[in-house]
Amino acid sequence: MPEHAEHTIEVGGATIHYLKGGRGKPLVMLHGAEGSLGWRQYHEQLAESFTVYAPTCPGFGQSERPPWLESFTDLTRFSLWLLDALELSQVTLAGHFIGGWLAAEMAVMSPRTFEHLILIDAAGIQPRDGEIADVFLHGQEGTRQLAYFDPQQVAEYAELFQHKPSKEERDIQTRNQETLVRYCWKPYMFSPSLPGLLGRVQLPTLIIWGQDDRIVPLECSALYQHALPNARVEIIPQCGNCPPLEKPTECVRLIRNFLV
Amino acid sequence: MFLMRFTERAYVDYSEEDVRQSFRSAVRLTFPNAHFNPSLGADLYNTYLDEYEYSEEVGFDGLMLNEHHNTPTCMGAAMNLEAAILARTTKRAKIVLLGNPLPIFDNPLRLAEELAEIDMISRGRLVSGFVRGTGIESWATNTNPVYNRERFEEAHDLIIKTWTTPGPWRWEGKHYQFRVVNPFERPLQQPHPPVWIPGIGSPETLIWCAQHHYPYIYLETDPQVTLDLTAIYTEAAKRVGYEPGPQNFGYLVRVHVQDTDEKAYEVGKGFLIGNAGVGRVPLPGDFMAPPGYNSREGAKRIVDQYRRYSLRPDPLYGGVDSAGWEKVVESNRVIVGNPDTVVRKLREVLSVVRPGILGVWTNDGTIGHEDTMRCLALMEHDVLPAVREMGKELGLPGPFEHAP
Repeated sequence: MPEHAEHTIEVGGATIHYLKGGRGKPLVMLHGAEGSLGWRQYHEQLAESFTVYAPTCPGFGQSERPPWLESFTDLTRFSLWLLDALELSQVTLAGHFIGGWLAAEMAVMSPRTFEHLILIDAAGIQPRDGEIADVFLHGQEGTRQLAYFDPQQVAEYAELFQHKPSKEERDIQTRNQETLVRYCWKPYMFSPSLPGLLGRVQLPTLIIWGQDDRIVPLECSALYQHALPNARVEIIPQCGNCPPLEKPTECVRLIRNFLV
Repeated sequence: MFLMRFTERAYVDYSEEDVRQSFRSAVRLTFPNAHFNPSLGADLYNTYLDEYEYSEEVGFDGLMLNEHHNTPTCMGAAMNLEAAILARTTKRAKIVLLGNPLPIFDNPLRLAEELAEIDMISRGRLVSGFVRGTGIESWATNTNPVYNRERFEEAHDLIIKTWTTPGPWRWEGKHYQFRVVNPFERPLQQPHPPVWIPGIGSPETLIWCAQHHYPYIYLETDPQVTLDLTAIYTEAAKRVGYEPGPQNFGYLVRVHVQDTDEKAYEVGKGFLIGNAGVGRVPLPGDFMAPPGYNSREGAKRIVDQYRRYSLRPDPLYGGVDSAGWEKVVESNRVIVGNPDTVVRKLREVLSVVRPGILGVWTNDGTIGHEDTMRCLALMEHDVLPAVREMGKELGLPGPFEHAP
């Protein structure tokens, strides 16, 4: 079983936490709106083929946020600094939900840093027909109810969400929510210019989507594919917004097939 | 003692079931406006304005208004319009706005202009309170709650400078930028209308008020909690070189008078569905305080302070339900009774809290117009003069008698 460990690194005056494990070519996995949920089964499975880096974005979890870092654009720049500090280049960049949006923005800003791009139920593009569900208005519990096709098939659901959080966990949840509000309140979860900017991103891109995503509508997978010159879409049936947790084996199989 | 009269101008023609069926069972923010009947609304706005005009007649020094959005619990969604009407139709009473929710305005200069007009039309009777607004105001206007306090302070600084510094000049702030700040109409009161700040005790706001010499108006906080909060203000005032007095503090409390204790006790129950809404269905906590709206230190302090006492300051949070109406009345959190009873109970509260400003929340919820008018009529001779004397006896000067 591949080993993993937690590390910290100084970036732009802030201490950033990240998990690293596995062997092989580097793959950076950016977390979703709930922040880092730790080293999960999908990390473990990916780590069998790749050296997985799972950073905690500034302002989430234990990672510090420099006081000037207040926008999604700043987060994008900062995240590129992080990869620079980790001496990572020509890496695969993957992200889920807001992490997918962040990955897309990073690819726009610095396409030559990456070899492949993987977007999983990514925010970032405004749907044409539907809406990205308002996770703030639904609240944490309501959002979790929306996030999964069937929580019963999320093997790690009880471990992650069904225990009474400790004071430290509650503090981190509060911090994560504040940070999410800071970066994503308005415009909500999309950048109007992103579809246009993605046109110059030639990276081979895999778009993975849960067929039953009730947070970021499935149509956004097609919008991403339309915006990116070199992208293909894989839809996972009976899966909500979070394939890495709800269908980890399927999700990792698609990634591995795409990269190997 | 400065005496001002208040009501939230509630709309109550809906059912508990209506509330339960709204998104997240909320009476504010997401409660469908299909439940609003504009014909009834037209009657209510006019009734409430009539009651305010009568409040001046019976001797109140101030007419207090507030503003909330997306809610039937308070019809003052555009408070400055009501204030502008009262500026013209009343002659003596101060028009006390508690207050304009600064963070939700993208153009504070427009606010500075509106308030200046109200001040001039009223011939200098405006008290311009400012608030951060509840979280609902942030949601309803899509204002990022994380920046609520920053926007509050910057909008305040911009408005005060607009009123006090001859234009044109330029403002390049973090949240507001204006090339040419030069509103032509300036307020009548110089250097600017008095500023009072209402709230339930965010320590940051108390300290900020003390630094600015602004009276802080406690919104029906628990009297014992209020003393702790006053200590925060006092300590901050001393740090900037002055000793605050009653003129630096106000206290808002629900007070309903009828001819008999029994009738007041029964009619007063109408308060219970005031700002909690019909059915008193608890609001989602994140509607009132979305992530980032309160500093983590501030939020913790508020919770800790109220946890120490059995009753919370606002029925909205379930305090009244858990304690029961009888206990609420016994503990003077809502004061009801005949004039003698009310004066006696007010003495108990004023002796502890020692405010120079008393906000008298005469009616809300299902308390109807007839009962409200009787309440106001009884206050004219049997309550307000006695409270004024009490203010003198207890040494509670208001901010127009003694500068804060």
